[in-house]
Amino acid sequence: MNVKITTLPDYTLISVEGRVDTTTSAGLEKTLMESIDGGCTKIILDCSGINYISSSGLRVFLVIQKKMISIKGHFNLCNLQPGIREIFDISGFSSIFSIFPDKEAAMIG
Amino acid sequence: MDQFLFQTTMNVIFSFLPVVLLLTFLFLLDSFNLVRVKTLVFSLLFGAVCAIAGYFLNTWFGKWLAIDYSILSRYVGPVIEELLKALVVLYLISRKKIGFIIDGAIYGFAIGTGFSLFENIYFLFNTPADYNLLKWIIRGFGTAIMHGGCTSFFALLFVGGISRSENKLMAALPALLLAILLHSGFNHFMLNPVLQTLLIVVFLPIVFVLVFKYSSSKLQNWLEIEFNSEIEILNMIHRGEFSETKAGMYLKSLKLQFNPEIILDMYCYIDLYLELSIKAKRNLMLKENEFPIIIEPDIQSKLAELAQIRKQIGKLGELALEPLIRMDYRNLWKLNQLT
Repeated sequence: MNVKITTLPDYTLISVEGRVDTTTSAGLEKTLMESIDGGCTKIILDCSGINYISSSGLRVFLVIQKKMISIKGHFNLCNLQPGIREIFDISGFSSIFSIFPDKEAAMIG
Repeated sequence: MDQFLFQTTMNVIFSFLPVVLLLTFLFLLDSFNLVRVKTLVFSLLFGAVCAIAGYFLNTWFGKWLAIDYSILSRYVGPVIEELLKALVVLYLISRKKIGFIIDGAIYGFAIGTGFSLFENIYFLFNTPADYNLLKWIIRGFGTAIMHGGCTSFFALLFVGGISRSENKLMAALPALLLAILLHSGFNHFMLNPVLQTLLIVVFLPIVFVLVFKYSSSKLQNWLEIEFNSEIEILNMIHRGEFSETKAGMYLKSLKLQFNPEIILDMYCYIDLYLELSIKAKRNLMLKENEFPIIIEPDIQSKLAELAQIRKQIGKLGELALEPLIRMDYRNLWKLNQLT
């Protein structure tokens, strides 16, 4: 899994590539938490490169969402591949997260 | 009067507080938030009911067997009391209120706590002028925690047994035997009571922490492995690719043994079960992260539909489906997370 962080004045864009599973989820959580601890209150997670997400990955998203709610921040997901989007829809997680079709929509949302 | 008030207050504090604090500690260890407050209160209350029933049964057996108090407390009391507390655990399990070792241990401890709180209230009222603080410390730190610990061990061993698909009776008997032995061993006071109490206070929380850690990692693995494979199979069903999979081929092979209507029901059963199972696990993950659980408006009708299809498939059909879906205790408990 590769993570690329782009810090912009209004938000932090984090692009993730590869699998978010048991072995990689802890690393992703650490990266996201470090961004939040660094003062970031709006994270846009570009999921276009995620080709697999397990329950560990979903839990990391929940942890970050919880953290963002507590600091009144925003955690927006965008560019989910159809297979990944289906996981969110089937499990009902779509209603928990702010999911946008692309980066531009996520920036406004 | 002041001395009486001070002493009574101290007695109350030392006899009630330790066990309540340990119960709170266990409740906080439940990182998956499996324990429901309503069921916890129920456990406490029924633990107290067990103490009342235990009091009458112990008195009756004592008279009937014409034995003195030391024999009663060492051999008869532990059997009666552990059996009564175990009945509450069994009731909770029959109602699918316990799913894992963690919640089983906490509810078990709560039953023991309710039991000991009532017992200590009874002793406080019957020995109001007992200024022996050490006795109350032993009652609070030793006896009360022992009651919670014994029922907790029964619950965690029993849940562990049925989770491994052991026969319920075979799982319950050794668990009950251990609880009785621990209780009886404590009542023998083979060690100095203070030392015995100290050992309980030091070792029991360590045992709980280790057991909870182990159970948490098991729960996490269970979530991880099942959640992903279930989503994958459900995706295949929705894409019409299920028949190409090994599971689909297996279902097809059952056509020889079952009529087409049952095969269709089996297909619907797998589809519906997977959907509900995924949603139940989602609710577990939401609870773990303190999000409110999602209760879909159609969930009750889907659960009713699942129960109906299960009936239509029958026991034989369910057995045939076991390589794909096994309606074991944990899977039935899991569906409880949906409501």
